[in-house]
Amino acid sequence: MASAPVFGIRQIAVTAITAGLCLPLALFAIILVPIPGLPAASGFWIPAGFYFVMTLWFGVWGALGGHIATTIAMGYFFGYTLHIWMDGGLGDFIAPIVALVIFKLLRANPELKEKRDYAVWIVSVMIASLVCGLWVHTVHLLFGIITWPFWWVGVLTYFIGDTLAILIVGTPLLKTLTEYVKQSPMYIWK
Amino acid sequence: MRRTFFLYVEENSPLYRLHPLLKILLLLFFNLEAWIIESPTVLWLSIVGVLVLFKLAKIPLARLLKFLLFAAIITQAIMFSYILGSKIPGNVVYYEFPWGTYVTDRTLLYAFSMVGRFMLMLVGSTLVLAVTRDIDIIYGIISLKIPYALAFTVSLAFRFATIFIDDYFKVRDAMILRGTALDKGGILERARKYVNLSIPLMVLAVRRMLELTYVLEAKGLNLKGKRSYFYEFKLGSLGIALALTLITIPILTLFLKMSYGLFTFPGWPFNG
Repeated sequence: MASAPVFGIRQIAVTAITAGLCLPLALFAIILVPIPGLPAASGFWIPAGFYFVMTLWFGVWGALGGHIATTIAMGYFFGYTLHIWMDGGLGDFIAPIVALVIFKLLRANPELKEKRDYAVWIVSVMIASLVCGLWVHTVHLLFGIITWPFWWVGVLTYFIGDTLAILIVGTPLLKTLTEYVKQSPMYIWK
Repeated sequence: MRRTFFLYVEENSPLYRLHPLLKILLLLFFNLEAWIIESPTVLWLSIVGVLVLFKLAKIPLARLLKFLLFAAIITQAIMFSYILGSKIPGNVVYYEFPWGTYVTDRTLLYAFSMVGRFMLMLVGSTLVLAVTRDIDIIYGIISLKIPYALAFTVSLAFRFATIFIDDYFKVRDAMILRGTALDKGGILERARKYVNLSIPLMVLAVRRMLELTYVLEAKGLNLKGKRSYFYEFKLGSLGIALALTLITIPILTLFLKMSYGLFTFPGWPFNG
């Protein structure tokens, strides 16, 4: 039987550092690449590249860090506290976990040594971004923040924006730094 | 004057001296009320009320000016979405779009309500956050009986966010000094340069993660069992009354909305 995840000092460090790193990046992304018609959204979600990689290296705590960063960045600084916690924050928690589960199930290597690893990485990112995009914009729609014709625009821009950001930022991070990160005691692929 | 997350506030400000639990409840209160209320009149009157509270709490209104850009971005997003993509029935149809949506007198009013909802969340949250310190976050979360580990993590996240902003500028300046022209080239060229910037940032993050683990272990941080705290905040009878009020009002608002149709759209004076 699988044991319940323990929240100890190492997990605090992973979560807090991921959140601290992604928080300013989330603010930059919202300010630099806003999407007309979609509040507190960005066409190039830079922090996703970081917390996806952190989740692949360190497990669910990386995703929790991404969730805290997104919630604080969009909620705390943009006034959308409750909506965004329900919406973007939870979506950004679910997405990297989806990618991690696909990676684990297909036994791919985060070092991206083979073509198969690259294929799994790209497919997992696309599926995760789509799941997250559907969740985020359906909740937005239910809250009355966006209208039905903008739902698919939101899902599509989210899917493209997140996928591109994660692949552009995350791929070189995985390729160049996994070897270095493997030495840390928090790495989950040993 | 005392430093909070956002600015310096007068030490005798009544909101600054509130118990951390009340600050968190007040933050939730503004966001819940804005979420429940739909009537534009009530929303905008509430905003005026919060602005008065700024004055009473001795918090400079200039703080809100820093949010003007964000407010403008979100306001245009809401207006754009409703004007181009909604089908809200009204008395007069101003324009019908080829894709089937239309603009009525009620469309603009509803969009105005949604902007009001956002603005109430923004000014309400800003009011509370203007008087909130990092220790308020930790003690407030602990007062809600949420585990200390989570409160500590959120506090660390705030501290590291400012450290990583400094790191970002240091790495960027180092790259510029070594001849990288971040502002030259096409979009892809610039994106590639910024991606290169992310690698040293991530190395710093992983290094800090390890250092933080060693420091916390060396200091013997214990996450289980009863803890003692450096600060002691007493809620008092007035605080308890205020906490109950902050919990009761949203419940009452929701009850009045569901049972008697109060606070619903369009509300007074736009009914009929």
